[in-house]
Amino acid sequence: MEPIYCTVLPGSPDELGVPPEADKTKHKQSLAIEELLSTERGYLNMIQLCAVDIRNRLKQKQLPDFDLEGLFANIDDVIDVSSKLLYQLELMDTENPQYLQALSDTFLSMRSELENTYKEYCASYSNILILEARYREREELDKAIQETITSTAPHTNATNLSFFLVMPVQRIARYQLLLQTILKNTEPSHPAYRSLQATVDSTVALNSNINEYKRLKEVADKYNKPENLTLMDKIYRINTHSIAKKTARLSQMLKHEAGFLPKTEDKEFDALEEYFLALERGVADLQDNVSTFVKHFEEFLSRRPHECELDIETEVAFRNYKELSAILHKHIYPKYMHRLKSLVLQPLCSLQELFACPQNMIRKRLHKLLDFEKIEEKRRETGSITYEEQEAANTYQAINTLLLTEMPKFNGMATQLLIRAMETFIFIQRDFAADVNHIASGYLQHLPHNKLPDYTFWSWAEGMFLKEAKSLQQISQTFEAELNPHFILPLTPSSQRRLSELTKRYKSEQIYQASSDIKGGRDMDLSLSRGELVAVIQEMDTKGDKRRWLVEAGGNRGYVPASRINPYHPTGQTASPSPAIVDEASKRHSVVVVSPAIESPVLPSLQVQEDYEVFAAYDFSARSIHEVSLRAGELVTVLEHHDRQGNPQWTLVEVQGQKGYVPSNYLMVVPVPGISASSRKT
Amino acid sequence: MSKAAVKISSDLLSNPLCEQDPQFLKSMTALDTAMRRMDAFNQEKVNQIQKTVIEPLKKFSSVFPSLNMAVKRREQTLQDYKRLQSKVEKYEEKEKTGPTMVKLHQAREELRPVREDFEAKNKQLLEEMPKFYHSRIDYFQPSFEALIRAQVAYFTEMHKIFGELTEQIDQPGLTDEQRERDNEARLSELKALSIVADD
Repeated sequence: MEPIYCTVLPGSPDELGVPPEADKTKHKQSLAIEELLSTERGYLNMIQLCAVDIRNRLKQKQLPDFDLEGLFANIDDVIDVSSKLLYQLELMDTENPQYLQALSDTFLSMRSELENTYKEYCASYSNILILEARYREREELDKAIQETITSTAPHTNATNLSFFLVMPVQRIARYQLLLQTILKNTEPSHPAYRSLQATVDSTVALNSNINEYKRLKEVADKYNKPENLTLMDKIYRINTHSIAKKTARLSQMLKHEAGFLPKTEDKEFDALEEYFLALERGVADLQDNVSTFVKHFEEFLSRRPHECELDIETEVAFRNYKELSAILHKHIYPKYMHRLKSLVLQPLCSLQELFACPQNMIRKRLHKLLDFEKIEEKRRETGSITYEEQEAANTYQAINTLLLTEMPKFNGMATQLLIRAMETFIFIQRDFAADVNHIASGYLQHLPHNKLPDYTFWSWAEGMFLKEAKSLQQISQTFEAELNPHFILPLTPSSQRRLSELTKRYKSEQIYQASSDIKGGRDMDLSLSRGELVAVIQEMDTKGDKRRWLVEAGGNRGYVPASRINPYHPTGQTASPSPAIVDEASKRHSVVVVSPAIESPVLPSLQVQEDYEVFAAYDFSARSIHEVSLRAGELVTVLEHHDRQGNPQWTLVEVQGQKGYVPSNYLMVVPVPGISASSRKT
Repeated sequence: MSKAAVKISSDLLSNPLCEQDPQFLKSMTALDTAMRRMDAFNQEKVNQIQKTVIEPLKKFSSVFPSLNMAVKRREQTLQDYKRLQSKVEKYEEKEKTGPTMVKLHQAREELRPVREDFEAKNKQLLEEMPKFYHSRIDYFQPSFEALIRAQVAYFTEMHKIFGELTEQIDQPGLTDEQRERDNEARLSELKALSIVADD
């Protein structure tokens, strides 16, 4: 019988007759190939429908709170890969003897693309399911979805999205089966057999990789988020199982620490962990420090001395300074801050946040490691372990593998970021310095002394200020200096008596006069009235306070504030000594000069003129028949300005019809304008 | 602020990473040196400004207490003057009796020195105060110059030092946008790892 090589048509084998065994295989092979192709076409069609039409419709509906991206994951990539695959597979005619080789080659060449794309999709699939379930609970969303599906794909009788979305998951597994069928129906002697076998093997490996990846991802997602449990949550979690688990871990850990059990050392892991921790520390510190720096700088910025009003606008140096500061504050400093914050601080903060999850995973790994050790021990001893224990062991392995593969990448990339951040910092600093320099130098040109080299300038500036310090001091002193000695208050007769007493015992430099009423507050303080005379005994009190002076006043001793008494140095006319106690027996002209140094109190000398009137300034009691008594304020008539011996210190007056002598300085001459002589009392 | 800057580099230098990566150590040492030098310059700047701005300001202000005291004393004298003046006027208005005249005379005597004192004080203040106020312009001129010069000196150094550092870095100068995008890219790469959470 002739071998029949004919294309298989979609028709019943009856038309062609029952093919022989070899042909049957061939036939099956062809069918399998055809199935591969047609299913691929159908599959591609479906997912395109889903991805494009359904998604667009849903997008148009603008449903609230609808995570379209999460729902569809990377289905676009899947579509791309699938289209490419199909295209390759359709390039050659299936009847071509080279076809199988071409098929194998296609699959092998696209292996990594397939793996990467489907790996991502499958890992995301559980999330897709979760999202879909969540949305279906919401009535409005559910209705919208149903509506969209029925309007775009009525022929499918699909009622939910997962009908479409599960397809890639199914498909990738299907390739393996389809290819296996083709292989089964291929003669080992076929030239493409080996390639085909390799293809099948690779698909198997591909699938197992995808599964592994999915599992790792699930483990990672489960454990990488640090849980924020409240105390209550933690308490609720306690049950016998968890207690047993944690106790076992603890005992394992203690055994390690006590040295009973050798710790499982994984040098590779430890090295990675150490690096990771150092890195984390570095990033944390850096972020902290830069943050502090920024804060200080901002505080510096908040002070704006150049905005104060100083009222010296015309001055060149000041104006330049003011303008320079304004520009710096308005443009240059903010720019620097902005750059620092966005290019250095911000990435550092983001980076720092990323450390939390891996850290958590490392922690979990340790826990699982403790579990694992126990399980391994049990396995060694008893040879068998329970299903849960196997699961736990697997989990540990999964975490460990994950960390070992990914931590190097993490460490490397994070270090790169750190270094980049520092480099950027350096650039920013340089640019900032350049900016300030540029502007400031410009203003420097306008300054009077800009040609001076630095050293000279500073010497000059300091010199200027030292000089000025002296003149400032002088100004201060000017203001502090007493302008006039405090004027002397005219003496009352009692004061005059006091004066004579004091001058008997004290030197004239010690005589002081109170410039105002002094009320003694403390013990040993004296009270004085204004104008009272005292003698200073000591210019400080017993405690050494120089503001309290010990004085004597009329037989009393006490303290008075030094500021309220002034040296009694009457500036005035020639000495006309106060009337001392005149010895009755002595002649009028002899007056006892108590102290030649004392100048007379300031009283006007008698100048009796036509338009002056003479009054008695003080009371005076006559002590002899030659004297006459006076009452303060009495108008008197001067008869003679001297006594019989010519002593001008006595005046002969007439008052109240009596004549007699009175001390000249008890009289007062008062200019009385407008009173004519004729109206003078007599 | 300068101290905070030094801390940035010194903490990094003390990080164990430096032991692991010699390149890192080299870069960090260079940066640390630069920061410390800048700190030294900053200290110098502070000193200069202290001497040419802060202290002169203080000295200038120290005149004010004396000035205020002089003003107060003038005020006191004015009060005395007014008081005595009104006393004199009071007596002048009274009847011209003997005692009144005596008191009037006395009062006038008291008034005279007080008035003279007041006028002297007043005159002094009127003369000296404007002089003092005016003197500030010339006085402070070197201060402002000093402020600008100090800035220029400091930032010139800073530019030089950091310019040297940038030359040690292989990376050419990137624009800010490029840097931002670079950072973003690296961060997303990191986020793509499974051990880093997705959110």
